[in-house]
Amino acid sequence: MSATHETVHEMSGLYVLDALTPAEVAEFEAHLAVCEACRAEVAALRPVAAGLARAVPQVEPPAHLRERVIRAATGTAVGGQGGASPDVRTSTPSVAPWLLAAASLVAAIALGWYSVQLRGRVTALEGSLQQALTQASLAEAQIADAQRTVLEAQSQVAVLAAPDLVRIDLMGQPNAPSTSARAFWSRSRGMVFTASNLPSLPAGRVYQLWVLTASGPPISVGLLQPDPTGGLTAAFQTPPDIPPPTQVAVSDEPSGGVPAPTGMIWVAGKPAA
Amino acid sequence: MWVFWAVIGRVGSSEAGRGSAEDARVDQDAVRRMARHDADALAELYDRYARAIYSFALHIVGEQADAEDVVQEVFAQAWTQAPRYEARRGAVAAWLLTMTRSRAIDRLRARRARPDAEPANEGQLRELVDPAALQDLGLLTRDQISRLRSAMARLPVMQRVVIEMAYFEGLTQSEIAERLEEPLGTVKTRVRLGLLKLREAMTESRI
Repeated sequence: MSATHETVHEMSGLYVLDALTPAEVAEFEAHLAVCEACRAEVAALRPVAAGLARAVPQVEPPAHLRERVIRAATGTAVGGQGGASPDVRTSTPSVAPWLLAAASLVAAIALGWYSVQLRGRVTALEGSLQQALTQASLAEAQIADAQRTVLEAQSQVAVLAAPDLVRIDLMGQPNAPSTSARAFWSRSRGMVFTASNLPSLPAGRVYQLWVLTASGPPISVGLLQPDPTGGLTAAFQTPPDIPPPTQVAVSDEPSGGVPAPTGMIWVAGKPAA
Repeated sequence: MWVFWAVIGRVGSSEAGRGSAEDARVDQDAVRRMARHDADALAELYDRYARAIYSFALHIVGEQADAEDVVQEVFAQAWTQAPRYEARRGAVAAWLLTMTRSRAIDRLRARRARPDAEPANEGQLRELVDPAALQDLGLLTRDQISRLRSAMARLPVMQRVVIEMAYFEGLTQSEIAERLEEPLGTVKTRVRLGLLKLREAMTESRI
């Protein structure tokens, strides 16, 4: 309505991601009509939104789905998979029966010539196979790497998007006044913990994250591995049956962690009421 | 072992084998034939895009059975809407993936129990405002997509989270702000900055 240009301009990202309500879309489109800069930015960001659809981990659909989809859409069954058939078939399957027939009819010379041809072909195929295997192992490493990153990101997103999300702000204790941290906890999806300025610890000590509840001893959530600046963001699984946290805290413990806290508390906080 | 077959399969796939202009032509031809009720044309389109559609749907809905239903709905919709498809409105791949997101998010929203939902936003999610929104999709190379993927992983976590919530969870800016207990302006800024970074990563070594 009376949004300043700066505010409206900022809407370009949400617009290309389709995260505006119809009223907001109308407002932004009215603005687009008169703002060259916003039109250019929308045009620049659209391919990114488009790319996100394809940047997800690729998963092969189950084989039975093809028949089901085609039958449901068209009401008819359709023949075999398009991709694999015509080109590939020209090699061995058609040569071999012909070769068998020829063997009974033509002289050994012809047979010898074919065996040379076939041997050459086998060598060539072995070469391609080797090449493909090399590519595959490279791809496998890249995929494993990408999957690790994606899984980490996905688990963080899953927690933060949880409908039962609880936010807990943690304050640095007197031994770490400039440290701050925040935990997002969902009973169904676990915890995302983010911190900055955690002091570096002496060798042999690690930070351990704890959930305190109204009943029972503190529950270990996991060990923290801050970056060199003392920052981190990480996702953790929490047991689905724990009582709601009354407090979240980080202590320093011997390497490998301990079943119950023994060290000093560095940051701690309670859920907002 | 599936990786091996995936690699072999890709050697002959459209992305590697043909230019995008050729892909676009072949796709559009298939849609024209679908409009004339040629079921083989639908099968061709399925063989080219089922993997991308299924993967995208699965990423949004998170469950295999739901993802399969989405794939079925998308191709059924493509079949009935083929006569009205206009090539100038965008690449066929974009058209299919737009429908995929829409169907998948409808499903997600229907599943999500949100007592605080505004009735006006509930139910069906509108189609992308402009179907041409994804028109560049056909022109994205595999290299750009892989750069986008790694750039996404490198984004500051809160920028990545708001982008994922908007695009893959179908949440509006107000819903995101509410979930994260952040001001609306912060959400807006994070989405925009994140996307600009992704754009930069995607285009930096574009030839």
